[in-house]
Amino acid sequence: MSGDASGGTDVDAPEDSLLRVENLRTVFHTEREEIHAVDGVSFEVDEGETVGLVGESGSGKSVTARSILGLVEEPGRIEDGAIYYRGEDLTDDNWEAHRGDIAIVFQDPGGALNPVYTVGNQIREALRIHQDLRGSRARDRAVSLLEEVGIPDARRRVDEYPHQLSGGMQQRAVIAMALACDPDLLVCDEPTTALDVTIQAQILDLLADLQREEDLAILFITHDMGVIEDATDRVNVIYAGEVVERAPTRELFENPQHPYTRALLDSIPGRTPPDEQLPTIEGEVPTPTGPATDCRFAPRCPAAVDACRTVHPEHYAVGAEGTDRTAACLLHGDAHHHSFEEALADPESLGRHGRAQDWESRADGRGRSESRADRQEPNGSRADGGDRR
Amino acid sequence: MADAPDPDAADGPANTAGEAAAEATNATPGRAGSAAHTRASTVLPTRSPVLVWAALGVALFVPEAGALLDFVVGLLADTAIASPAPGPLASVKPAVVSALEGVESAVASVPTLLSRETIPNGGYWNGQRWVDTFMGLSPPRAWGLRVTLVYAYAFAWAGWAILGYRLYRREIRTVAWTPRDDVVDRFRGHTWGKFGLVVVFMFVVMAVFAPALGPTTVEENMRNSYSYEMNYWDQETKSVETTLIGEANLGSQSTGTNQRVMPFSYDDYGRYHPFGTLPTGRDLFTFITAGSRISLVIGLLSVGLSALMAASLALTSAYYKGKVDLASVLLSDAIMAMPQLLLLIMLTTVLADTWIGGIYSGAFVLALIFAFTGWTYMWRALRGPALQVAERQWVDAARSFGQRPSTVMRKHMLPYITGYLLIYGSMTLGGAIIAIAGLSFLGLGVAPPTPEWGRAINLGQDYVTTGSWHISLIPGILITIVVTGFNALGDGIRDAIDPQSDSAGGTAGRGGGA
Repeated sequence: MSGDASGGTDVDAPEDSLLRVENLRTVFHTEREEIHAVDGVSFEVDEGETVGLVGESGSGKSVTARSILGLVEEPGRIEDGAIYYRGEDLTDDNWEAHRGDIAIVFQDPGGALNPVYTVGNQIREALRIHQDLRGSRARDRAVSLLEEVGIPDARRRVDEYPHQLSGGMQQRAVIAMALACDPDLLVCDEPTTALDVTIQAQILDLLADLQREEDLAILFITHDMGVIEDATDRVNVIYAGEVVERAPTRELFENPQHPYTRALLDSIPGRTPPDEQLPTIEGEVPTPTGPATDCRFAPRCPAAVDACRTVHPEHYAVGAEGTDRTAACLLHGDAHHHSFEEALADPESLGRHGRAQDWESRADGRGRSESRADRQEPNGSRADGGDRR
Repeated sequence: MADAPDPDAADGPANTAGEAAAEATNATPGRAGSAAHTRASTVLPTRSPVLVWAALGVALFVPEAGALLDFVVGLLADTAIASPAPGPLASVKPAVVSALEGVESAVASVPTLLSRETIPNGGYWNGQRWVDTFMGLSPPRAWGLRVTLVYAYAFAWAGWAILGYRLYRREIRTVAWTPRDDVVDRFRGHTWGKFGLVVVFMFVVMAVFAPALGPTTVEENMRNSYSYEMNYWDQETKSVETTLIGEANLGSQSTGTNQRVMPFSYDDYGRYHPFGTLPTGRDLFTFITAGSRISLVIGLLSVGLSALMAASLALTSAYYKGKVDLASVLLSDAIMAMPQLLLLIMLTTVLADTWIGGIYSGAFVLALIFAFTGWTYMWRALRGPALQVAERQWVDAARSFGQRPSTVMRKHMLPYITGYLLIYGSMTLGGAIIAIAGLSFLGLGVAPPTPEWGRAINLGQDYVTTGSWHISLIPGILITIVVTGFNALGDGIRDAIDPQSDSAGGTAGRGGGA
């Protein structure tokens, strides 16, 4: 048995997916230390699909987005991995060739609009570059884009400055600006975080409508599990620069497989009975300053065992045969002995039975070099992971 | 729009004489406009304000059209003479130069209102009345009339510009408010800044109208004083005599307590000297006005060049960061490590005899040296703001949709550092004027006999303790006022740009010092 369980088909036909991020490593070299903000992230987005990237603040979501768009600035660098857009590796300095194919919507709509130019001026700037429209034709197109994103009275609004628009209207204008590039993939970096809840819902509806009408693929980056549930088809849970679980959205919410995902879901207010105190995740996301040698979630993990502090978990297929579900947790490497619930109930069980040594020796046996080569493969699914399940 | 309050009414009593003049010129149309609420325009009481405004501009331009043409043609001719003509062009150069000189003399015959030919002040007393002066007025009155007219004319232009801005802001543009409006409004409430603006404006007017302002000219009075004759009333013989101006200068020297021509007085030859005479007998006011022009040209050129270098380097290093930033830090540190004064002295000496050293009596090369040694300070000041704006998300947004780096820098970053450019440009200009004067004082820089303020101070320094104290004192005071004016303007712009120092309508920024 091989890694087929976790979507190995893409290895043979990379041109199938619109965007495929493989083992992406973005490292920031500061004077004191190296920060591995994105540390081996792999995921893919197919045409017309909405994929979520969810994690806490500081988990590397936004750096992933910036890496995809080639916006990583000094002292940051993409050190390893590849970003395939329709089979072409963008990290080979191909960003300029694909400008406009991938557009981004930022978190703070007020910040993404330059306050000294009118909204129309900024949309026309993109139109001029990507659709070669100028003068009154560009203006008409800008007006129709604003209408498309649901701004009323667009003909007047097009000449207004960003400060004259409300937050929701600003975000609509930013989306119009992104649409002016005529993109195939829209990267939404926390597009609703700065907005209040009613406006959030409107923006999510708008994005869904646009996706249907324009056949857009959307990479949805957020820390809000509720938004993920509403808006996405598949989810990648990211923690400290690594994807720790990937699953179809519904399955993830029904049956989370990684302790971190479970903790995230538990801290959604609606899912806890009203008279109980809302669970939280103690501690905060660590800043990865070197290659991972352990499970980065271990210090905060209620199910952690000794092995978690010495072994860096690989992705193991956790769903039913043929589904694209993986989780990077040792629990699933040895799941036939201990279910998630058992481990939670008795965190020491694995360690007491001496399996820590077992894990260590196996990790040594594989050898670092082999595991590194393996991890280059998409989804990094381990053969033995599948075996043991 | 129609009932916009008259902004002038909010201002308190005018604070300085210069400001009062500025207010007087721009308030008249404004007040008249607000009195006529029911009319079509609140700015100009007419149905077609733009047309009237443009007509006013033309009306202001016509009296001085001759001077402008003269200046442009003269500049072209001077450039043609000064520029080196390599190889094949060498044969064409004399023809071009003579053609341009032909045009120059033709243009000189176009009448100009504010010229010494139209309102002459150089005349002589023939026993009964003044001959050759404007309408037979005494020389100080004719000269004073000309100076008053020049400044009235300049302030009329300023008022015209302010009127145009109001017209644009209230009636032409479709948007009710832009962030820039607040900057202008804050500056309007900044008395110290307005004082600076008026001083700087008057200095610029002095430089622009230098030939018309002086009681005599540099050519007649200084460069070729032995080629020009003049008539004067001889007190002893009681008759009109003729002498060379050079000879007259020898008789009007200010070299001590007994032999001196003080400010606002006549010399023995019936010539009026508003600022007295130099030790050589030359007219100090003419010297000062001509010197203001060269100071301003060097200042503007050097500050403009260093602003250009500083801004492009700041934007580039903020945009690319990392190694580019490090390289520019190292470069500017290296330049800052060189002793600027020694470098200036060395370069002026080395370049003095080259063709570039001859342009504009060495002023051009001086400006270049100032620019290349001075941009580092401005770059340091711009780097922070540039790095800040480079972090703004709209810069990323523009990059994400594929805008070219140069366009991102120009369109999305430059507007946020132009304010800083204005502040530091204004303050550096004051510094440049001091530096030029300092070099001239040391006998370097602008070659004699081209007038320069620092040289006037140098010439007078032997007589400071004698009765001829005015020679050093007057240019010294003027330098102080002008430099203070530039600094005040810089302060005003800084406070106007900073939204935190919101003094619009309040008292916080008023009368604030440096």
